[in-house]
Amino acid sequence: MEDADPILEVDKVTRYFGGLAAVKDVSFKVRQGQIFGFMGPNGAGKTTLFSMIAGALKPSSGKIRSRGRDITGAPAFKLIKLGIARTHQIVRPFREMTVLENVQVAVHFGKQAVTGRAAARERAIEALGYAGIDQLANYPAAILSVGHQKRLEIARALATDPDLLLSDEICGGLTHAETSEMLALLRRIRDSGTTVMYVEHDVKAITSVCDRIMVLNYGRKLAEGTPDEIQNDPAVIEAYLGTRARGRS
Amino acid sequence: MNASSVVIAAQRVARWRSAPLPWLLLAALAALPLLSPSPNFVRLLFTTFLWVTTSMAWNLVGGFAGQVSFGFAVFYGMGAYTTALLMNTGVDPVPAFAASALSAALVSLVVGVPAFRLRGPYFAIATIGISEAVRVVMTNLSFTGGASGYRIVEHRPFHQLEHYYSALLLAALAFVISALIAHAKFGLGLQAIRQDEDAAADLGVNPYPYKLAVHALAAALTGVAGGVFARYAAFIHPAGVFGFHTSVHILLMPVIGGIGTVWGPVLGGFVFGIVEEEIVASFPQVHLLIYGSLLILIILFEPGGILGGLGKLFRRFRGRR
Ligand SMILES: Nc1ncnc2c1ncn2[C@@H]1O[C@H](COP(=O)(O)OP(=O)(O)OP(=O)(O)O)[C@@H](O)[C@H]1O
Ligand SMILES: [Mg+2]
Repeated sequence: MEDADPILEVDKVTRYFGGLAAVKDVSFKVRQGQIFGFMGPNGAGKTTLFSMIAGALKPSSGKIRSRGRDITGAPAFKLIKLGIARTHQIVRPFREMTVLENVQVAVHFGKQAVTGRAAARERAIEALGYAGIDQLANYPAAILSVGHQKRLEIARALATDPDLLLSDEICGGLTHAETSEMLALLRRIRDSGTTVMYVEHDVKAITSVCDRIMVLNYGRKLAEGTPDEIQNDPAVIEAYLGTRARGRS
Repeated sequence: MNASSVVIAAQRVARWRSAPLPWLLLAALAALPLLSPSPNFVRLLFTTFLWVTTSMAWNLVGGFAGQVSFGFAVFYGMGAYTTALLMNTGVDPVPAFAASALSAALVSLVVGVPAFRLRGPYFAIATIGISEAVRVVMTNLSFTGGASGYRIVEHRPFHQLEHYYSALLLAALAFVISALIAHAKFGLGLQAIRQDEDAAADLGVNPYPYKLAVHALAAALTGVAGGVFARYAAFIHPAGVFGFHTSVHILLMPVIGGIGTVWGPVLGGFVFGIVEEEIVASFPQVHLLIYGSLLILIILFEPGGILGGLGKLFRRFRGRR
């Protein structure tokens, strides 16, 4: 069954940096309620793709639609109002604010645009609790560990009240236990009704949590399917899993 | 110890103190005339209140939003001339001050609309350009007397305390605005823009109108300060109110006190207001050089200003025990 107006529809999107095509003719659709994963070697174009969807970068060509609405090239602050939020692979907390204030910004300027200070604090604390860092609310964001800063990225993005959350390598640098907590968190987010797009290098992590996966290689789409299909795809094994396995030895 | 932890410590100190302090200070300053101070002392405080006002205004843009301006003299001068011209046509002081706020805010858009579209140092550079341009125009504008200045004739008896209270009220207003903004949606948005404009946009902050709005608000406050000054001085000239040194003073005070905080610019404004005349009197030729060197020293060694330094001391003291 085809979804008439998927929450995200990316159509032949390309982005050049100078002569380099970081993303080339990539197309896919994300259905509501999925966790949609993205894999690919370093430099494959995953973050560039996310940045275009979230409005931080403009595509060189191609179209991006959300629920039938053309959002190609729309700035990030407008997309937030349409329910599209992202986390940053390289964390970007407001370092001179407390953890709570960081999230308050997201509540104030998110989809609901909450004005009142008390209400914003309450929602922010809720989001921190959801991300499991409410005990750090009054600490300066600058002193958090990377793991906690990744959670802060999620708390902030969630506090904007997104329908589509783009999370970029939230498990990078985390321990095994922390990773499984993160994955449980992603599932909870999906189950609460937010569609999730998820970039991760850890094959085990991504195949265990995603409903559908796309593999990028040198900016191009290499394969798309269920985790099982992806893991058994010869092209994927060769280009991604294969090189990774070799790289390790 | 890094700069951000210093700023946070300073903010802590500021927040901890901020509940009754402003009211006590306001009450003390309001009651001060009961002690029949000398007219010269009243004049000094009057000027200081105006400096404190402009210092807090600059801090809204330069401190909260991180948009450094070298051109606040434009707003001060616009406000001064607006009030002067209107009062000479018989307009009462208060509506004249309101018009000063408006004219300064409008001028702020002339700078902000093009400059805030660009990233990087363009805004700072544009503020220098526009402020020199406006000064040159005012120097050559005949109906305001050009370089020789403009006199205000108020057909009412002069009461120094009336001026004193206007300036105090204005400073209090600037304080209330800045304190209210600091932790509200508007202020958090501005601080997010300063700390990481892209990350702010990724959370829904639209930087452009926010920068324009805070710039206009700061301009309006500075414009009223210019108007209150003009009425008191009864004589203004472009080299004074529009002078580059006025812009430097307005920028120096919040830096001395501690930018990005509520109390820093107040502190900086008081310190500056009280020593400024001494410095100019003692070093008439080189006082700008002194300010410039001071600016560099603060930025190099104590970017948090006096408040940042106090915060450090405060934490060191607590850490010892
Ligand atoms: N702002 C930029 N300017 C120039 N080149 C860029 C820029 N951003 C990304 N690139 C290049 O585009 C390509 C794709 O980068 P991207 O960050 O999207 O990859 P990625 O799949 O997210 O990699 P990683 O797994 O390392 O995060 C790389 O070759 C990168 O060097
Ligand atoms: Mg990446």
